[in-house]
Amino acid sequence: MSPVNDLPATPDTDDGALLSVRGIDVGYRTGRKSHVIAAHEVSFDLHPGQSMALVGESGCGKTTLGLGLLRLLPRTGVIPRGQILFRRKDGVRVDVRTLEKEELRRFRWNEAAMVFQGAMNAFNPVLRVQDHFLDTFRAHENGRRRSRKEILEHSAELLEMVRLDPARVLTAFPHELSGGMRQRSLIALALALKPQLLILDEPTTALDLLTQRSIVERLTELREQLSFSMLFITHDLGLAAELADRVGTMYAGRLIETGTTRDIFHRARHPYTSALIDSVLPVVGDLRVPTPLPGGPPGLHTLPEGCPFAPRCAHALTDCATTRPALDVLTPRDRGLSHTAACLRSTDSELHAEGAPR
Amino acid sequence: MATELAAVPPPDTGDTGPLAPGTSFSLPRRFWNDYVFVKVRKAVFVVFVVANVTFFLGRAMPGDPIDVMAGRLTQGGMSMNEARAIAMNSLAYDVDAPLYQQWWDFFVGLVTLDLGSTINRPGLSVTEAIGAYLPWTLFSIGVGTLIAITLGLTLGMIMAYRRNKAIDHVLSVLASVLGAIPNYLIAMLLVVGGGMYLGWFNPIELRGTLSPGVESGFTLTFIGDAFYHAALPIITYVLAIIGTWMLVMKASTTEVLGEDYVTVARARGLRDRRIATAYVGRNAVLPLVAQIAISFGTLVGGAIFVEQVLVYKGVGGLLLDAVNYRDYPLLQGLLIIITSCVVIANLVSDLLYSRLDPRIQK
Repeated sequence: MSPVNDLPATPDTDDGALLSVRGIDVGYRTGRKSHVIAAHEVSFDLHPGQSMALVGESGCGKTTLGLGLLRLLPRTGVIPRGQILFRRKDGVRVDVRTLEKEELRRFRWNEAAMVFQGAMNAFNPVLRVQDHFLDTFRAHENGRRRSRKEILEHSAELLEMVRLDPARVLTAFPHELSGGMRQRSLIALALALKPQLLILDEPTTALDLLTQRSIVERLTELREQLSFSMLFITHDLGLAAELADRVGTMYAGRLIETGTTRDIFHRARHPYTSALIDSVLPVVGDLRVPTPLPGGPPGLHTLPEGCPFAPRCAHALTDCATTRPALDVLTPRDRGLSHTAACLRSTDSELHAEGAPR
Repeated sequence: MATELAAVPPPDTGDTGPLAPGTSFSLPRRFWNDYVFVKVRKAVFVVFVVANVTFFLGRAMPGDPIDVMAGRLTQGGMSMNEARAIAMNSLAYDVDAPLYQQWWDFFVGLVTLDLGSTINRPGLSVTEAIGAYLPWTLFSIGVGTLIAITLGLTLGMIMAYRRNKAIDHVLSVLASVLGAIPNYLIAMLLVVGGGMYLGWFNPIELRGTLSPGVESGFTLTFIGDAFYHAALPIITYVLAIIGTWMLVMKASTTEVLGEDYVTVARARGLRDRRIATAYVGRNAVLPLVAQIAISFGTLVGGAIFVEQVLVYKGVGGLLLDAVNYRDYPLLQGLLIIITSCVVIANLVSDLLYSRLDPRIQK
């Protein structure tokens, strides 16, 4: 419970993290000189092999943050400040935010790949699946040009990894595949260049339960096999609990609580995280009535002066309306696994008494 | 037979997969339902309907070719009966034949490409007359459409990629202005402005389809001269439709740029050029392919005025003559051929579309 507030101001030391996000703002231009910030002062470290979930309501900035990390924002997207340090395969640490065009192009997919929402049409409708593989491999060739046959054989192996029949899928057009097959093909494509980081944005949304199940199983398997790091963005807490070893909760564009999966699901210290968990039915144990969280997240232009969650918080004090809490370290651990929370009452024993009902 | 009937899918949808239950596998049936054949079938039907309309419209109009010819002959001092006799002899056309007989003869003639004789140009059959003029119109319009589409698509894409930048604003205004000017006005502006005031070219020399003394044939002089004389019509057609193509392509490209697969392609680290051609360009062009035929049809219709203004000896002048001299066989023939050209353009763009978009067909 030490109130050491060292997270946002981490000095630029190399502690072996794969990805070090240092105080980045991600926003959208709204006019010639104005912009709104959708993700505010986000900092976290992701170490090799870790799997971190970003959870929160719709519109809390999760997707914006995910796209921002690869600089894939739409034309109006901006990252006005901060650093996105990434340790490339060649050991060099680069700041993704300031990478040049060609370097950025080579960085994408080769170092960090992204799997988009299950419902997204991630495949070009006029190209066959094999053309997507060919395009991807060809764009990242270094000197040696591989033959078409070689690439297709490699692609077939990748598709087999996600339990798809390459003979049928490779020559198919995207519209000839089901949503689940398309999503698994995209995962195969994402792993084609052996990226160190896989960002998954709502990978199972809009897929039916059985398909979701198979995607999750495949991902777990693949991670054991290939040991890449994962950052996945979801509002599905069940998925987070299953796939992640770390969770970060986002609210109104801010990371408000981070910790291990155990910290978040059993010892949540931010009332918003608790509310999020309480709004989902438990699969095991006594069936309790899920508690909905009334209201919605604040607009980006009309953030309250104090804690952004204060207006909806059942435990808010008068201070909460005026003081914006910083992300305090509650349980320090290395490798970015510290339990942190941005709540004035995060150490309030009255609120977090052992065994007290949430 | 009953089972076979039940097995035939409705001709328009054709979305049943190759292994859908109840699909007939008989070869003639599959050919009948083949995408290309269905399209050709429909095109032929459209031409048939148009031919009927021209046939009955011609007969419904007051006077017939015999009357018209006889009327002109009587002006030379001939008696009406004599004139009618001569007219009936010189025209392979029997006014007193029952309508179904005429209809049958007309369609037999159509199938064998024998559209009868012209009235105003003695000794010249309709097929020959059209054959002498139509190629020039198709040539100038074809080249004009090709240039306009190529340029329009490129500029439209540039506008979409640079939207809200200076180049987009300039090109948008230009495209809107060009799109608003009727094609014959553009032709006049070219002749008056470029030819007379600025003196860039001699509009008198550019008249006609070929310079005197130039033989047709596959020679450089011939092709060069053909382009020289067609330059003004071609420029007119390009300016007339390029604005629309630019604006439509800009809208289409802007939409495709927001598609998920473009974001994913960027995430995959593909080169910008590859994304612009295979991912953005190809998908943006798809919905526009059908409009090639519309563009072509509009131009064929507008050619009458443009060719008149520029004194280009194409099918436009011929059509105007046919109307002026009530040359019904020629008029009929021209309308059918012109419509057929547009129908064929439509067919080609349909088939092109099915080649470009894998979601069509099958």
